[in-house]
Amino acid sequence: MQEFLQQIVSGIATGGIFASLALALVLIYNAMGLVNFAQGEMAMFATFIAFTLIARGVSYWIAFPLTLVIAFAGGIAIQRIVIRPVERAPILTLVIVTLGLATLLNGLAGFIFGYLPRSFPSPFSVQTVDILGALASYRDLGVIAVSAVVLLAIYLLLQHTTVGLTMRAAAHHPEASRLLGVRVSWMLALGWGLASAVGAVSGIMAAPILLLEPNMMQTIIIYAFAAAVLGGIESPLGAVVGGVIVGVTVNLAGAYIPFVGGDLQLAVALAIIVAVLVLKPNGLFGRPNVRRV
Amino acid sequence: MSIFKRIRTAPPRYWLVVVVVLFFVGLPTVIDSFQASEWAQALILAIAIMGLNILVGYSGQLSLGHGAFMALGAYTSAILAHRYKMEYLLTIPIAGLLTGAVGFLFGIPALRLSALYLALATFALAVVTPSLIKRPVSLTGGVHGLFLSPPDPPQFAKDAFTAVTGSAMTSDQWIYYVTLACALVLFWLAWNLVRHRAGRAMRAIRDGEVAAAASGINVAGYKTLAFGISALYAGIAGSLFGMAVGYVSPDTFPVALSIQLLVGAVIGGLAAIPGPLIGGIFAYFLPIESNQWVPTQTWIPSQIASTVEKAGPAVTYGAVLILIMIFAPNGIAGLVTTGYARLRRRLRGGGDRESGHVPPDPQTV
Amino acid sequence: MPALLELDEVRAGYGPTSVLHGVSLSVPEGEVVSLLGANGAGKTTTLRAITGGVRWTGDIRFAGRSLRGMHTEDVVRGGIAHVPEGRGILTELTVEENLKLGSYLRRDGPAVRKDYDRAFEYFPVLRERRRLSASTLSGGEQQMLALARALLMRPKLMLLDEPSLGLAPMIVRSIFEMIRTINQADRVTVLLVEQNARLALDISSHAYVLEVGRVAVEGASTELKGNESVRRSYLGY
Repeated sequence: MQEFLQQIVSGIATGGIFASLALALVLIYNAMGLVNFAQGEMAMFATFIAFTLIARGVSYWIAFPLTLVIAFAGGIAIQRIVIRPVERAPILTLVIVTLGLATLLNGLAGFIFGYLPRSFPSPFSVQTVDILGALASYRDLGVIAVSAVVLLAIYLLLQHTTVGLTMRAAAHHPEASRLLGVRVSWMLALGWGLASAVGAVSGIMAAPILLLEPNMMQTIIIYAFAAAVLGGIESPLGAVVGGVIVGVTVNLAGAYIPFVGGDLQLAVALAIIVAVLVLKPNGLFGRPNVRRV
Repeated sequence: MSIFKRIRTAPPRYWLVVVVVLFFVGLPTVIDSFQASEWAQALILAIAIMGLNILVGYSGQLSLGHGAFMALGAYTSAILAHRYKMEYLLTIPIAGLLTGAVGFLFGIPALRLSALYLALATFALAVVTPSLIKRPVSLTGGVHGLFLSPPDPPQFAKDAFTAVTGSAMTSDQWIYYVTLACALVLFWLAWNLVRHRAGRAMRAIRDGEVAAAASGINVAGYKTLAFGISALYAGIAGSLFGMAVGYVSPDTFPVALSIQLLVGAVIGGLAAIPGPLIGGIFAYFLPIESNQWVPTQTWIPSQIASTVEKAGPAVTYGAVLILIMIFAPNGIAGLVTTGYARLRRRLRGGGDRESGHVPPDPQTV
Repeated sequence: MPALLELDEVRAGYGPTSVLHGVSLSVPEGEVVSLLGANGAGKTTTLRAITGGVRWTGDIRFAGRSLRGMHTEDVVRGGIAHVPEGRGILTELTVEENLKLGSYLRRDGPAVRKDYDRAFEYFPVLRERRRLSASTLSGGEQQMLALARALLMRPKLMLLDEPSLGLAPMIVRSIFEMIRTINQADRVTVLLVEQNARLALDISSHAYVLEVGRVAVEGASTELKGNESVRRSYLGY
């Protein structure tokens, strides 16, 4: 019983990480209407940059913001160079281009940094704290806390500032916004920069737990996707709840179903995705509207 | 119309097809057995890419999971041949149909997903496939996979081959011809599919689902059908792959395979019948040749050359996907078609611009 | 006095199809000018050319400066507000956010607040609904929102594309009253595209009638109103 509780708490903690990533996806991508298959790989690459800075002796507390700045600039550059030429193309083209970007970044990371998993420092200690008789580490809680802060910041920026307003306008109504004087092109670039920086935060938070290697973000993205689908793609609350449920389910399945074991946890996430899509396509909290996921 | 008149008035395209078919039929007589096996694998990729093309190019749904469908086809055949001692050639259509059915089922939840999320979901499928295969060890041989003994060419084939070339037919060459036969049949089927109502319906869906539905097209039906057909092609390709390589294991179907198929489809040209053939050849030979060819090119800066060499295909594939989508979204087939059309216009003295004549859609064949 | 807006032999089209075949017109400062004509005559394309939504040749000059090669957002920032066909409402945003996008470029705080008051005075329903999504507004209300938003931009020139389209006659009347007020009280020059020629001629001082991409008739609105053959052949009444 004790162990079961422990698994649940662990699952909630891990779920918290998926939840925060899922929330970042939902918030950024709905607000900005961004289509980016390479989001995870960009985050991974940024984390490697942070790793390199730290390995060269830069303090964690300088490397972190510096990496965010670099990621921000990188996001803008990618939007200008790779995305803008296909801005008006059908979505399929855009997805393929970002898929190409993901493949490219993954290969580059493998080439430059190698495939050996590396440990990444965390500002939080791994000491555990007792919750309801189960243990949760400061590190896990720290990740959740940081993600919450970041998400709050994004929310405030997008909903309560003029810049956020013009970004949202440019994303959803580019032509109408131009007629209002909005520099749509630059707002879209800004959106990409912002999303890239948020991704970098996710990567830096996740790396101490997952170990840094080129494929680090792939599983996370799929889990976050499952969380978003389960919760309802359009719903921020759903993403949080979805994340927690996915985390707990995956953990319990891994621990108690021998067939699943360690490496088929991802299959559990996939099964969740398929099940939700077939049974309740709008997710737990999604608005039942005509527009599909 | 008499048959002679038909031959005389056939469009030049048809003659090109005849030439290409003859080329492939004759190929093994002039290359060695190992090279025949390589070309067989290129044709196998072309078949899988043809299936992917129907899904992506014609019905507008993206899939990164076709490597998984190939795995399903390959393992179905391997298990039937290995455990149940079924004649291998018989397993090919069975593998195809089974994979097609699974693909069709997968197409149902896929209806709910937009482009990006469908890509993610199929990507997830590709990622878990190797692990899924390893599980039922008694059935699939787990990590070690299954071995398949190379098929012996039947007597009639051996006789024909020796009569033409004077040397004995190897099993690799026999495999090549089986693959070629399957490819011809499947390409012909696909060509008929896209030419007629189903193809038009799919393209209408690709170009605008709401409008297509408003025109009375059964969007859900055609989309799931596209998934099923494309999975069938991938399943047959996988089955042939097992035969060609003689061995199936979880590691022969990684995510990279699915990406390779997509790159081939894109390079060759989406929504073009010749596309997959070009794409298959590229997808198979590009990584091999680039590793040998790039270092010898002095005009490529050494930094780029060594990166291409060491970073492996991922970097090249990624760059190719981006560049093609930006500069040549219709792939090589598209470039050839537009180039040809432009040449013809120039030779005929240009068209009348004021007349509002709309240039032909380069995507249809 | 040079006109605020001048079009000189403007040709424009979409891809291989040519829509405007040499349109010349001028809009004097402070006036309301109508652009009339049947469907497909090129009225919307003309407005689009001005704000850079379609490629054009010839010359378009605003306040003496040519608009050639300028991006839409820069043309707009130069002082032209364009309410397009369909009103251009950002339906993902609230009414208030739509209005804010009208005024966000301005730096004159107190004047902006006064303009908001005035906009709400003209269109009280906008104040009531301001926190709601713009998609909940009816057609007439959306038109009011579009006008209010354009007003908040404090433009020198307003381009209005078919403001009466799809609206009930009473609402149309009040909208046109607003346009008249905006022109007279706020001294905004207006180029008005309309199918409803009668209303347009009532409110404007000059009018141009487009036919198949060219100016077929032009003149003072009172003259055109009085000319029965012009009315019958070109204006439909």
